[in-house]
Order: sequence, then C-alpha cells, then structure tokens
Amino acid sequence: MPTETVPEQDVRSDEEAVVARPWVTIVWNDPVNLMSYVAYVFRSYFGYSEQKAERLMLQVHQEGRAVVATGSREAMEVDVQAMHGFGLWATLQREDA
Amino acid sequence: MRGFRYESGAYRAELDAGEREVVASVVANVVELLGGELPDLADGSPDGAAEAAGRSDPSVAPVWRLRTEPVPPPDDPAVHRLLPDASQDDPAVAAEFRRLTEDDLRTAKLARLRWLWTALQDDGPVVPAPQAPAVAATLTDLRLVLAERLGIRTDEDADRLGRAVGRRRRHGADDVRTYLVTVYDALTWLQESLVQAMLARGDLGPPGRVGPGD
Repeated sequence: MPTETVPEQDVRSDEEAVVARPWVTIVWNDPVNLMSYVAYVFRSYFGYSEQKAERLMLQVHQEGRAVVATGSREAMEVDVQAMHGFGLWATLQREDA
Repeated sequence: MRGFRYESGAYRAELDAGEREVVASVVANVVELLGGELPDLADGSPDGAAEAAGRSDPSVAPVWRLRTEPVPPPDDPAVHRLLPDASQDDPAVAAEFRRLTEDDLRTAKLARLRWLWTALQDDGPVVPAPQAPAVAATLTDLRLVLAERLGIRTDEDADRLGRAVGRRRRHGADDVRTYLVTVYDALTWLQESLVQAMLARGDLGPPGRVGPGD
C-alpha cells in the first residue's frame, strides 16, 4: 500500500487558512415564526430528517440562533436567499475559527 | 373561521366574506409596501399560476436586469423585515447580497401575495397542494409586517402584548391595536393549521434546496 504524504500543516499562512475556512448560514430567532413552520422549512428546503430539523429549530428558539448549513460563500448566499423567501431571518458569515 | 384541511388535492379553509376581506386587505397593504400592484380581476386569469412562478411581474424591475449599483436597505422596518440584511456585522456582505438578490426576492414575494389575494376573492381560500408552501410563506410575511407594526420584536414583546390585549378585550376594548392583534392571532392560527395539515400528509413541498414559490 502506498504511504500517504502528510501535508505540513504549519506552512500555510494565516491568509490561506482564512481562505480555506468555509462559510455558514445562520438562522436567527424571531417572535413571529412558528416552531412548526421553522422545523418544516428545515425539512423542506435542506431535506433534513424530522429529528435534525426539530433539534435545529429548538436551538434557534432557545439559543437565539443556529448554524443550519456550511459551504462556499456562493452556496450560503443561495441558502440565505431561500430562508428570506420563507420569511426566516438568516445571515451568512465565515465559520468561527 | 375554520382552519386548513386537506381534501381532494387542496388545502381548504373556511373564512366568511368579512374575514376574507380583512385578510385580503392585509395582503393588499403588504403588496403596496413592496411597491407592487394588485392583479386586475377583470383580466380573466385568476389562477395566477404563471405569476406564482415569478415569471411575469410588470410592476417590478425585470429579472434579467443585472444591477451594478448598490441597493439601499429599505427605510420602512416592516419592509426591511421582509427583505432582511444577510449580515449583522459586515456591511459589504449585506450590500453585495442585497444587490444580487433583492429584486428576485421582492418579485417572488409579490407574485405569491397576489396569488393569495386572488384566491381570497372566492370561497375558501382553496389552496392546491403545489401552492401550499408559497401560501404558508406568505402568511409569515403578513404576520411579520403586522408584528413590526405592533412592536413585536422579541418573544417577550409577544407574550406581553398577548396579556395586555387579553385584559383589554375582557374590558370590551375596541381600538385599532386590539383589532390588529386579533388579525395577527387569526393569521397565526391559519398558518399553524396549514403547516399541520401539510405535515400530517408528509407534504414537504418541492424537494431539495428550492424555495417556496419557485
């Protein structure tokens, strides 16, 4: 079996590390959207299981926000636009280091 | 008023003429806020299927126009809630997002508002299953605008308002604010009934990462 070459982690500059960090879509709590509807949106749009959708919905409700998707900036822009289409408030940002 | 139930291919609610008129007036108000116009009922195309798909909408900028200039955030907080910022702390991200997406989002919201307004002119409303996700989302939009007007910005605001209005109703209050809360509560109840009816039959709308009204 070929031996895999382990890349040297410490040669990357900070800037490269920032570029490699993905973006996330965050959904924020609001007093209007129904818990049932938020869970429905997570199942409908992201295709999440009932359990996962329920867990994320409760996280939004109790902690005020939840990361619901991770990916490229372009992909997160598409997701945030869709959330706004559903009437949820969502933002995108780089994933926390 | 009876909430939504699924019957032979459609979700049906029963609102009397007065109740439908009240909801239609809220829809008309939100259409106006978004800078759109109501459909012309005389044009003989009440089903609005093409409109609901967001394909034709003469009252907003054509979707093929690529914006190169920044689009300022809406001044009206209720409109801002319908077309929110995509970043809390990075104005460049929010501005770029708004430039790229606001026209499409506004067009999609207006198309489905107009669909619901037309549906409210007849008994029901009757919402064919494929239209249900767009109607559920539109009920959220109506509630977002009413909530903003009522100053509901936190869960605590909502609880406090509910208690205050309950007290006023018991004392026979009949003011605009109590009326708006009554309409808000009715829309909440209608939306909950629609979502529950959809979930009861495993209707999760269009598959994959496709938004309502698309």
